[in-house]
Amino acid sequence: MNSFLALQFTPPDVSFALIAPELIICVVGVVVMMVDAFARPNQRWVTGSISLAGLLAGAAATIWLWLSWDGASQAFNGMIVLDELRLGFTLVFLIVSALTVLISMVWVENEKLPAGEFHSLLMFATAGMMLMASGGDLVILFLGLEILSIATYVLAGFRRTDVRSNESSLKYFILGSLSSAFLLYGIALTYGATATIGGLPGTTNVAEIARRLNDAQYPPLLFAGAAMMLVGFGFKIATAPFHIWTPDVYEGAPTPVTAFMAAGPKAAGFAAFMRVFVFGFPFAAAASKTISGELHSAWVSVLVVLAIMTMTIGNIAAIVQNNVKRMLAYSSIAHAGYALVGFIAAGAASGVEQRNAAITAVTFYLLTYAVMNFGAFAVVQLIARAGDRRTEVEDYNGIGFRSPALALTLSLFLLSLLGTPLTAGFIGKILVFRAALEQGYVILVVIGVLNTAISAYYYLRLIIVMFFRERTTSWMAPPIPASIAIALVITVAGVLYLGLFPGQVINALQAKPIVTMSLR
Amino acid sequence: MGPQLSWYLALSAILFTIGVVGVIIRRNVIAMFMCIELMLNAVNLTFVAFSSFFQDVTGQLFVFIVMTVAAAEAAVGLGIIIAIFRNRESLDVDEASVMKL
Repeated sequence: MNSFLALQFTPPDVSFALIAPELIICVVGVVVMMVDAFARPNQRWVTGSISLAGLLAGAAATIWLWLSWDGASQAFNGMIVLDELRLGFTLVFLIVSALTVLISMVWVENEKLPAGEFHSLLMFATAGMMLMASGGDLVILFLGLEILSIATYVLAGFRRTDVRSNESSLKYFILGSLSSAFLLYGIALTYGATATIGGLPGTTNVAEIARRLNDAQYPPLLFAGAAMMLVGFGFKIATAPFHIWTPDVYEGAPTPVTAFMAAGPKAAGFAAFMRVFVFGFPFAAAASKTISGELHSAWVSVLVVLAIMTMTIGNIAAIVQNNVKRMLAYSSIAHAGYALVGFIAAGAASGVEQRNAAITAVTFYLLTYAVMNFGAFAVVQLIARAGDRRTEVEDYNGIGFRSPALALTLSLFLLSLLGTPLTAGFIGKILVFRAALEQGYVILVVIGVLNTAISAYYYLRLIIVMFFRERTTSWMAPPIPASIAIALVITVAGVLYLGLFPGQVINALQAKPIVTMSLR
Repeated sequence: MGPQLSWYLALSAILFTIGVVGVIIRRNVIAMFMCIELMLNAVNLTFVAFSSFFQDVTGQLFVFIVMTVAAAEAAVGLGIIIAIFRNRESLDVDEASVMKL
């Protein structure tokens, strides 16, 4: 009873400044919904503009948090944290969302879809992603994941009358809910397992979990919980044995939504995955002596196997695809594998500095992937025309000389996805592979490089098809709407800038004082 | 001897397994959907069991959040099912194969 009274008189640990970006995006989502309800049918572009303005405001708030950074901090009793993992990922999500708005602006009009609903769902999905990066407690991570997932299920099935879109949405929904249930069961077991021998009840706070690992009352439950969470997150970021849903879902969903799903929710999955595993089950010195050491070496070695499988299966399956969206889906699986290499390096790092460098490498990798992936999908969307009808490789025959601008931009993005020097993809790969080498994972790097060589086949194949294959049917270059042109300019500039002058961005991602979560 | 914590955990593990198996082997979307709900409720049982055993309220709060999320998921899931039924008049997942693996 005493502790209950004491709790009542403690002022709640509220800090609106710390969740300002999330708040802004949520409010914008609601505003977009209200504006859409009262707007006239020919004023649909308004909601897109409001969303863009909101995303800019969210980015401004994030940068403000970044500039006023004085060490990691937390609010809402550890539910929300501000640390080295959060800000970089938040900016990636905002960029992804802004590019989605740009490439979908004309598309929603042409397909006669409700623009306001699309944009508000997108805003809520973005808010969910941001919560996944900022949550310091398994409750918030789960809530963020569900806000994101439920909005994305609807977005995948947004072309309601199209059977492919329905199917994509259904498959995403069933497997997404299944993976959420696994994640949740893992959380429940971890909550039970972290009760200490000293009599403290279980906890769902990530930093607190890390502190209690060695006093855990039920170590087997802890292992089971970690395994369940690994499966749940594995589904979300589409690692190899859990990737089967990805190609179907990505192929069937409308192209702008596919671009969003490949970049945004995947990055958010990585943010939450790293939060739980790198910070919750951190490196421990005596590997086989303590519970935390055993747990750490167990999850790192499982991830090594998953990363190898993901890279290999993604690339080999991509070779045999004849549908461009499906090929890019497998390519996104392969890229998740490369990012996992950086994740493993972050998990295996013994020093805080190395760990942060590896986290920066993963963030940078996902940023470059988002930029080049959006560029590629923007071109694919233009070529696919209304209803996503032309997405086969044959539809790209000989368009290189009919529409050099489009073909050259797509080639640039494909070369960047492949990881050619002077493009963003190259620097991203170098960073994650270097982080893995520093931790002594030579085998992972070798397999990663071999896989890059395999991937050359299917990326270059599309370029060859565009420039050196005769076209028998007539083909008119699609008109490029202004919003897509802006998106293409941004992504081309991004690929070249991140490829030629990556130093500034990497430094910005890294230039934060080093504070560990577990020491706070 | 009253009910032990391990009994509840075993029951929820069994329920969860039934749910997983159901999602994998059932071919009707509604049945799969119900199996997912079963999995979520197995999780809720785990949380409540731990919560009551520890005399701690965190687990029960988590249950409320899970229930809310499950309700939202049910609304969206049934919406998707209705959309697919309108276009195809069938709820058999084996027929949902326009795109091949």
